[in-house]
Amino acid sequence: MPTNLQEETWTAEAAPELTGERAGRGMAQLLGRWWVAFAASAVFVVSGHLLIKAGLNSLTAAPPGTGVAGRILHLLLQPAVAGGLMVYVSGTVCWMRAVSQKEISFLYPLSSLNYVLVAAASMIIFHEVISPRRAAGVLLVVTGMILMNRRSRERAA
Amino acid sequence: MSPKLMIWISVLLSAVAQILLKQGLSNVQKRNPKGLFALGLAIVSQWLIWLWGFCFVAAMGLWLVGLQKLDLSYAYPLVSIGYVLVTLLSAVFFHERVDRHRWLAVAVICLGVTLIAGSQ
Repeated sequence: MPTNLQEETWTAEAAPELTGERAGRGMAQLLGRWWVAFAASAVFVVSGHLLIKAGLNSLTAAPPGTGVAGRILHLLLQPAVAGGLMVYVSGTVCWMRAVSQKEISFLYPLSSLNYVLVAAASMIIFHEVISPRRAAGVLLVVTGMILMNRRSRERAA
Repeated sequence: MSPKLMIWISVLLSAVAQILLKQGLSNVQKRNPKGLFALGLAIVSQWLIWLWGFCFVAAMGLWLVGLQKLDLSYAYPLVSIGYVLVTLLSAVFFHERVDRHRWLAVAVICLGVTLIAGSQ
C-alpha cells in the first residue's frame, strides 16, 4: 500500500526528486539481500565501535568535579563519539534487516567475526597489544558462538 | 567505580535490557492495539519498556565512561557474556529449553571471557 502511494507522488513530482527516490529504493532493494544487509551491519557495527573508541582516546578531560551524568554528556558531545554511536545504530538497523531474511542461528556465528575484526583493527589502529591470552579468549568466544547455534542449524538443514 | 566494573555492569545491563524489551513488546502484542495511536499508547504504558530504556541508556553511558580507560580489544569481546546471560534468563523466565550443545557453548564462551577478563 505505501509503495503505491509513493509511486503516485513520484510520477506527479518534478524530475530532481527522481534520482533521490530511485537511490533510496535501490538501497532498500540492496539491503533486501541478506548477505548485503549482514555485511553492512558488520562494517557499521565494527567501524562504529572503532570511531567511538577513537573519540574517547582523543578526549580532552572533563572539568574536575564533574559528576557521572556530566561526564557522560561531555563524552557524547565529542563528534567522533556521537558519530560512532550513529554509525553503530545504523549497523543495528542493518542487522535487523538481515535477521528478518535469514535464520538468526545462522547469522549469530557469522556475526562473531566482529570480535576478530574489532581485535585486529584495535591492534592496527590503536596499537593495542593483543596478548596470546586475549587472542585465545577471542577465539574461544567465536568457537562458543558457533557451538551455540550448531544444533539448530542442523535442524534447519 | 573502576572502569572494569563499569564495563561489566554495562554488558549485564544490556543483556537484561534485551529480555525486558522482548517481554515488554510481547505484552504490547497481547493487547493487540489497533492503529498507530493505540500502539503508541500501549508501548508508553508498558513499564517494562521504560525499564528497558533506562537500562539501555545506563548501559551506554557506563560503556563510554569505562571504555575511556580500557582497550577496545579488551572490552568488546566481553559483550559476548550477554549471550550466556540471555540463555540463562530465557531458561529461567521464559522456560525455554536449553539443549546440551547450548550449555557446552555457554561454558566455552565463559572460558573465553575469563581469559580476556584477565588480559588487562
